[in-house]
Parts: sequence; C-alpha cells; structure tokens
Amino acid sequence: MEKQNESNFYREYEVFSKKNEKSPIQHQFSLLAPNDDMALNMAQENFMRREKVLDVWVVPRNHIRSMNSEERLQWTNRLDNKDYRSTKGYGYLRKKWSEKEQGMLDEKEIMSWKEVKKS
Amino acid sequence: MYNYGGTLAADNVDEDKEKYARFMERVEAGEKIEADDWMPDEYRQTLIKLISMHGISEIMGALPEKEWVPKAPTVKRKLGIMAKVQDEMGHGQLLLRVAEDLMKPYGKNRESLMEDLLNGDLKFHNVFHMPTRTWADAGMVGWLVDGAAIISQTNMLDASYGPYQRALKRICQEEVFHAQHGEAIIMALAEGTKEQRRILQESLNNWWPSLLMFFGPESASTTGSSKQEVTTKYRIRKSSNEELRQAFLDKYLPRVFSLGLTVPDETVHYDEEKQRWIYQQPDWNEFKQIISNNGPRSKERLRLREIAYENNRWVRQALAPQVVVS
Repeated sequence: MEKQNESNFYREYEVFSKKNEKSPIQHQFSLLAPNDDMALNMAQENFMRREKVLDVWVVPRNHIRSMNSEERLQWTNRLDNKDYRSTKGYGYLRKKWSEKEQGMLDEKEIMSWKEVKKS
Repeated sequence: MYNYGGTLAADNVDEDKEKYARFMERVEAGEKIEADDWMPDEYRQTLIKLISMHGISEIMGALPEKEWVPKAPTVKRKLGIMAKVQDEMGHGQLLLRVAEDLMKPYGKNRESLMEDLLNGDLKFHNVFHMPTRTWADAGMVGWLVDGAAIISQTNMLDASYGPYQRALKRICQEEVFHAQHGEAIIMALAEGTKEQRRILQESLNNWWPSLLMFFGPESASTTGSSKQEVTTKYRIRKSSNEELRQAFLDKYLPRVFSLGLTVPDETVHYDEEKQRWIYQQPDWNEFKQIISNNGPRSKERLRLREIAYENNRWVRQALAPQVVVS
C-alpha cells in the first residue's frame, strides 16, 4: 500500500542567480519546495520580484558537498607566506621600472588591453 | 559530536567550556557563526525563538494589510499594497528557512512551526493582533509599524549569526520601499480633506500604544521575561528595548508633528537634560494579553492561517514523494 505523507512535502533547495551576462552566478538563499520546478517558481515569486535576473539555478541541498565547520576552519586558514603566488611579492618592480622611466604593467593596466591599434 | 538534545546550556558548561570560550572569541571578534558551526544551546535557542517569531510575524503581518487590497482607493494603491503584502510573505519564507536550519537538531521543521503557531506556542508581534479599520490604518502600518520594525531590524544588521544577518540585509533593503509606500498614503491623507485628516489622526491615536509596545518593556521586571540581555551578550543585536524605542521616537515624532498630527499623550516631550523622550508607559498587562493571542484580532487571523493550512493540505499530500509501506 502507498501512503502519502505530507511531512515529506518539503525538500531543501539552495538558490543561485545571475544578475547580468558578465556577473558570475551567486548564491542567494535557501527555500523549501516539493520538486525542482516548484523550487524554481518559488525562487522567482518569493525572492526575485524586483532585481534584475538573467538566470536562476535551484539545487537540492543534499546534492551539494559543502565544507563542514572544521573544514572551513582548516582550509581558510592559509599560510601567509604565499607572496610568490601573487603580485604582492613583485611590488618592488614598480620602483625599478620607475627608475628606468617606465610604468608598471599592473593588473589595472593589463586588464585594459582589450583593444590594440588597428593597422 | 555535540549533543543538542534540548538540554539547557548550564548542563553542558563543563564539558564544553573550551568550545564556549572559542565561540565567544569568534563572536566578539565580529566573525559570523554559520548553521553547522558549534554553538551553545542558549545561543541556538535564543536565535530560534527570535527568528521564528520574526518570520511568522512577517506572515501574520501580511494579514492586516491584505484586508485592504480589495478596498484600496486606486489601482496604483492596490498594486502598491499587493506588492507589499507579497514582500512580507517573501520575508517570512526567508526567515523561516533560517529558523528551520537552527531547529533541525531538535527534529523540528516547517510543519512544527505552523503547528506551534496554531496551538499558541509560537507568538507573533503585538502589532499584528490589531485591527486595520480604515485606509489610514493601512497607511499607518506601512509608515509607523514598519518604521518601528526597521529600527529593530537595522539594529541587527551586524548580527553574529551569518544566515540571519544576510536575510536581514535583504529584508531591510525592501523595507525602504515599504516605508515610502506608507509615507505616500499618509502624505495624501495629511494633505487631503478634513475627513481624511480626521481618520489619519484617529488611526495614530489607535496605534500609539501598540507602537510603544512594539519594542517590548524596558526591563524584564515589567512583564516577567525579556531576552534583551542575552541577545546583546551574543551580539545578535546592539541596543536595549528602550534605546530602540527612543531611536524610533527620535526619528518619527518630529515627522508626526510636522504633519500637524498629535499623539494621544499630553506628557510627551523631549527632555533635553536627560536626552530622551518622556512618555506615558503603555499598559504592559494588555501587551501580555495581546501576545498571548487574546488581542482584538488574534483569533480571526489565526483562524485564517489555519483555514489556509488545512485547505492546502491536499496539495502537500499530493506532491509529497510517495513512501511505500507494507
């Protein structure tokens, strides 16, 4: 015999959304819904009434392997000797280049190189 | 694994002294506590009580206003108040999720929250037990009731519990719309006909005690219980009930007077020396009665919630995944 138990109605979903084409998908909140389609509906109705939204993901929470409390503490506790991995460790170049009357090709400069001179 | 089993914090103090010290260190350093982090039972229970009451109040709070959706004076006003009612339900959904994640170790869920509401164990805010008799009342809920809610919610924008703090940030942003929606209704009435000004003043007179009560008594001795010391200890909120009430009076009384309105208390004035508003205490026994579901509209609104819950039961049953039992 099959029994329909309403206490199974709610499943936990995590909701992610994307504001525009250039922005990454971002976690918003969680909600309860009986299935994927209703979760998507609820996400729009309940939480995206005003803001610009280009895409929405709903993911059953139990499909997400997130860090637990201990893992977060461990993984986010980075050693602070990783200068060699970042531009921070090469900051002295700014002074060197300026002695040679050259500007520093820093992140701001390099990220602005979208266009080059047309021939 | 920490045993949540519903025991009081005191029972576990020895065993968890170290964890407790580490927890307080994090809270005091302004770190955010997440749902699966270790937390003292007192913290968990305080949050559950606060957030489930906040969440269910958003949902019950939609009821006094939704009564005015069919009676709104213009289409624009109808759209405005409908949007607001929908927002309140959205806020409720958001907050109940935060409460539910905290209640999970006790085996409780959405269903238990609804049952607790209907059997009277879960309280909702005093203001939502009151009638909305006129359109001015609908405006007053948006302007001053939401104004009071904004004061108490913004005070928790730095709350130590991450999920609540993030929900509040979202909610407070939408509250700005609610405040202006209320102001627009009030402004039109204040600048309207004699009759419109009359219902506006009448509305303020009716809501005044409820607005003072909204922040709770100054100390636990007034009503026998108050969570304010615990919530400030754990950095959930920053200020006391009275500080919040004073902030509300600071921000809103000058506006009330600027519209030519009065409050039904002749003793109200700002004491320059004490740097605070002087006012007559509302009847705190009445407050206790109201929040025990004996307010003017408590029963009707709970009944409405119950009807909705019962009428939709078949949907929950039909859509629940089927479990085979032998």
